[in-house]
Amino acid sequence: MSRNGASLVLVGVNHKTAPIELRERIAIGRDDLAETTRALAAMPGVLECMIVSTCNRVELLAAVDGPAVDPAQFLFQQFAVEKEVLEPHLYEHRDRDAVRHLFRVASSLDSMVVGEPQILGQVKEAFAVARAAGTVSGQLDHLLQSAFAAAKRIRSETQIGSNSVSIASVAVDLARKIFGSLNGRTVFLVGAGKMSELAARHLVQQGAGAILVSNRTQERAERMAEEFHGRVIPFDKLHDVASEADIVITSTGAPHPIFRREHGLGFLHRRRNRPMFFIDIAVPRDVDPAMNKLEGIFVYDIDDLQQVAAAHMEERSRQAVDAETLVDTEVERFHQRKLTVNAAPAIVAMQQKAEEIRMGELQRMHASLGTLSAEQMAAVEALTRGMVNKFLHPHMQAIKRAAREGDSARLDALCEAWSVAAGAAREPERQAVHDTRSPEPIEQAAEKLAALKGHDFSRAINIAESTRPSGPEGGFSGGSPAGRPLSAASESAEPGPTQDHIEARR
Amino acid sequence: MYLLWLRVAAVLYAAATVAVFPAVLYGQARWKSVCVHVGGMALFFHFISAVEMLALAHRWVPVDLRQMESLLGFAVAGLFFLIWWLYQAISLGIFALPMTFLLVFIPALGPGGYIFPTQGVRTSWLIAHIAALLVAYAALGFSILASVLYLVQERRLKSKLRPGPNSRWIPFDWLPPLDTLERVSHATLEFGFPCMTVGLILGVVLVQETPLGAAYYLDPKVIASFVCWFAYVLLLLVRRSAGIRGLKAAYLSGAVFVVMLGVWAANLIHHVHRYGAR
Repeated sequence: MSRNGASLVLVGVNHKTAPIELRERIAIGRDDLAETTRALAAMPGVLECMIVSTCNRVELLAAVDGPAVDPAQFLFQQFAVEKEVLEPHLYEHRDRDAVRHLFRVASSLDSMVVGEPQILGQVKEAFAVARAAGTVSGQLDHLLQSAFAAAKRIRSETQIGSNSVSIASVAVDLARKIFGSLNGRTVFLVGAGKMSELAARHLVQQGAGAILVSNRTQERAERMAEEFHGRVIPFDKLHDVASEADIVITSTGAPHPIFRREHGLGFLHRRRNRPMFFIDIAVPRDVDPAMNKLEGIFVYDIDDLQQVAAAHMEERSRQAVDAETLVDTEVERFHQRKLTVNAAPAIVAMQQKAEEIRMGELQRMHASLGTLSAEQMAAVEALTRGMVNKFLHPHMQAIKRAAREGDSARLDALCEAWSVAAGAAREPERQAVHDTRSPEPIEQAAEKLAALKGHDFSRAINIAESTRPSGPEGGFSGGSPAGRPLSAASESAEPGPTQDHIEARR
Repeated sequence: MYLLWLRVAAVLYAAATVAVFPAVLYGQARWKSVCVHVGGMALFFHFISAVEMLALAHRWVPVDLRQMESLLGFAVAGLFFLIWWLYQAISLGIFALPMTFLLVFIPALGPGGYIFPTQGVRTSWLIAHIAALLVAYAALGFSILASVLYLVQERRLKSKLRPGPNSRWIPFDWLPPLDTLERVSHATLEFGFPCMTVGLILGVVLVQETPLGAAYYLDPKVIASFVCWFAYVLLLLVRRSAGIRGLKAAYLSGAVFVVMLGVWAANLIHHVHRYGAR
């Protein structure tokens, strides 16, 4: 079976099918990924492969040489996991289902947090590793490029990734709605908890400037201040310094609010009414809710942030429905394109044959035409080439259409009419055994066609003879052998064989 | 000779007027110094001019309206500098210096006033006058629009926006951040103010050539225009000094906007200054 005829198989586990204890047993670190991918590629029957390994999934994607090849065996052997333990958690998708699954993964529809952007980067990274390891080429390359295009389309045509769904990123989004750019904004961390640290990290990533840290335990405040290159504020100076901050993140364990309305009034006075944003992630709350009533002060507690995040999550789920439809469209498009690619050898053969006939006829008429100037010869060349192109165009379109629609009878009839091999244009499965004609390898056919177009006839003949089968059905039955040089010709502006060929190859 | 000193004083008052705005609105010490020194020189030349003018008339009382205007301007400027000397309060200059300049400007043109050399030059001044005022009004409109949007965005954020299909706030997702709206509101005000000032000065030059003279300033629309200018200055000053934004800023802008609408409404009841008048 040729490479183009390989079938796709995707085997793996993810956060929905397997517990973390199992996922971590077969997780592959970044450093080991290339080596493991090469090991998978070495498995008998595997033509191309790549491995996606993240904290939520481990998936093997392979183009295999027949349905008997089972990449799941690789998982059992490579990670020494008992088949009975792993198999109930495994899923396997083949061909069209595998394509669909990959598109959903790349588009983040299969992620734990639907719409999260990291997965696309992780798939791209896995692809880059496999490419560098030399385990992907034609088929998977084409598949992955299509998956990336589908993911891009889904992100741009739906709002699936537009709203934040984590507490920290919701806080950053809200800060942006108040301050616009966060560049140079001062952030005050009151209480040095993990959550406030995470929020501060997000804010700093978005350009926030000075970081002030205050904590009852001075040592802890110093540690965090050092981490953010910030300044430690003694806890008893809290209210004196807070007005310097644009964003205050509080997470102390104080039993009563430490920021109250009267403090807010003082801050606003000192800040000349410039807005302040309080992110209160402490329970009990550190900021009196009455502060939110002051003009210029915005207070969001942990519940507020969670509700926004949950609402965004719901919104993503709604968007995911549209995204699934887009995935289906993209899968169908990929499938159609794949079928068209399979028609390429027949089209190239048809072009080649037409070119041989054209040149043969030109050669035959050479004596009758008499002595022609270079310009006249070019005109004759352009005329005949244009005629051939126009004549071929509808036939090639018909072949591509038949290939796309999987209409083997029509495809056979079209190819038969031109005495070219239809086998390559068919579905790989149907092509497998019974096609006794050996279509010329597409690369050689294309090379030969290029040689003919470039008027390197000797080379074309050499290629044709070296590739022509000896049997009665081999090669091309009609037309005269090409071999005698013609004068230079201009390229036709019509959609000719070359354009169609390129399109077909695409 | 008194006319020369008066013209020198008028030019210096104009320079001091330009300097007083950055000095007051932005608290820039350099502009403050320029304003005080140049204004002081203007007052000095104005004093010389006034003494010469009265001496020339052989009596120590003004004899016509222009002399009266000049002396009134001198009094306003003198009081401003007295207050500044006593209280170091330069903020009042934002009203006093432009007013003094306007009072001195017409007398400085001379007894016969300024006559435009051609109708084309006059038309050009008229076009510039109209264009400057229209731009100023448009800027004010933008400012109040930004202030209103600020209020909407602020209410959205205060109400802990809950996105979702039934959220009443969803239609306002496109609103820019609060800070951007505040900047837009303030920047358009600051852009509109010089336009309005230039527009009024150009108008004064045009008026002095008409036979109506001082009667022109009794027109409700002209009066409303000057009130609008004062309100504009007040708005800038209050916003800058008190850091007012949000609801109060929207109210302030709204008040000036109402005055501006008054200017347009005055078009219906005026006598001498009418849009499209022939």
